Amino acid sequence: MFGQLDLSVIRPSLGFIWTGLLFSANLTLIAMSGGILLGTLLAMARLASLGPLTRIASAYVNLMRSIPLVMVILWFFLVIPLVTGKPLGAERSAIITFTAFEAAYYSEIMRAGIQSVSRGQVSAAQALGMTYWQMMALVVLPQAFRNMLPILLTQTIILFQDTSLVYAIGAKDLLKAAEIAGKNYNRPIEMYLFAAVIYFVLCITLSTLVKRLQKKIAVVR
Amino acid sequence: MAMIEIQDVSKWYGEFQVLADCSSKVEKGEVVVVCGPSGSGKSTLIKCVNGLEPFQKGEVFVNAVPVRDPKTNLNKLRAHVGMVFQHFELFPHMTVIENLTVGQVKVLGRKKEEAAQKAVSLLDRVGLKTFADKHPAQLSGGQQQRVAIARALAMDPICMLFDEPTSALDPEMIGEVLAVMQDLAKEGMTMMVVTHEMGFARNVAHRVIFMDNGRIVEDTTKQEFFGTPRSERAQLFLSRILSH
Repeated sequence: MFGQLDLSVIRPSLGFIWTGLLFSANLTLIAMSGGILLGTLLAMARLASLGPLTRIASAYVNLMRSIPLVMVILWFFLVIPLVTGKPLGAERSAIITFTAFEAAYYSEIMRAGIQSVSRGQVSAAQALGMTYWQMMALVVLPQAFRNMLPILLTQTIILFQDTSLVYAIGAKDLLKAAEIAGKNYNRPIEMYLFAAVIYFVLCITLSTLVKRLQKKIAVVR
Repeated sequence: MAMIEIQDVSKWYGEFQVLADCSSKVEKGEVVVVCGPSGSGKSTLIKCVNGLEPFQKGEVFVNAVPVRDPKTNLNKLRAHVGMVFQHFELFPHMTVIENLTVGQVKVLGRKKEEAAQKAVSLLDRVGLKTFADKHPAQLSGGQQQRVAIARALAMDPICMLFDEPTSALDPEMIGEVLAVMQDLAKEGMTMMVVTHEMGFARNVAHRVIFMDNGRIVEDTTKQEFFGTPRSERAQLFLSRILSH
């Protein structure tokens, strides 16, 4: 069966696929930065006893974690134009959805990270007269990040794979680019295979790097 | 008014009462040792002084500022009350000198150079000048605790609280920490010290508070405490601790 593969169609499609890959990478990086930032704030809200704000943060995280990502992507893409009256565009919609969705997962990681910092560190920061925000920014979060860095990066690798779901709303990511190229040359199997190889190589490389980092951090501690 | 005034402080964890009507005071320049069996509430009491532990009844005044009063700016108060912890609690992601400057710069608003200068002279004072650029994990327990004392001193505290400062140390390191504390006492620092080191209490303290079951059982001069403690509980405690 593989004897019938015609890999020569890959070469002329490379430029097109590259554009798709760039979008996937961009989406991953933006959703990661935005997700970690938003997720950290959510984690802080959940851990502080702020009454309604704590409950809202909890509800948000639980909601996002209970809905399949592809449905969130679709709903957001379909509902926002109804609310604002004009379409947002698949790419922009994808960026916002992913940031909001990943924030829920990053927040669970950051929550564990914040809790991994000992109570005594908090007391020491307070005893110096630090405000809550100073204590978080200078003492707790730097340690939480360092403790959780491997897990945050692993989540980002999962995020990179999940970006392929924007396919559902037609945003031109790596997978969509491969699909289009496959249709152009009437060689879908070759192009899907090529896309899979790219995902695989990137993810396995990143995973290996994370593993090494994990060992290094373990030594420092 | 005394530097630290503790008035009828009571505290509960749910149903369980950890502090019961504790009253005492520490005058300016006085060194008061708080001792007692574990679980007697001495660590909890000292943490009430700078509001690290909330309490439900009574009041603590530090330099006439009420700790439990919601109008009090606790951060401002704590910035000038030094505290040293059993487990040092240096910030592990900062170097030694950063540990000493972060509070000065971020809380007191001092200039970086000024803070660094102060930090270096304090490190010198605790004999650790050459360790300025190391991380806490590279230091021994005794060295870490001396850095922690220097970190508290860098804030120019009006008084110092020590919560079992030598309990987590190997025996051979206890001396170096107590020596630093003794110097501090000689210079007239107001100190409240939770400790089991009866030698330190004998040599340095002016007064001894003995606690049991959340109550202050004895609050006397050290001469009286080591001579003839009034309560049976304190006699028993002393006989156990001094016999070996």
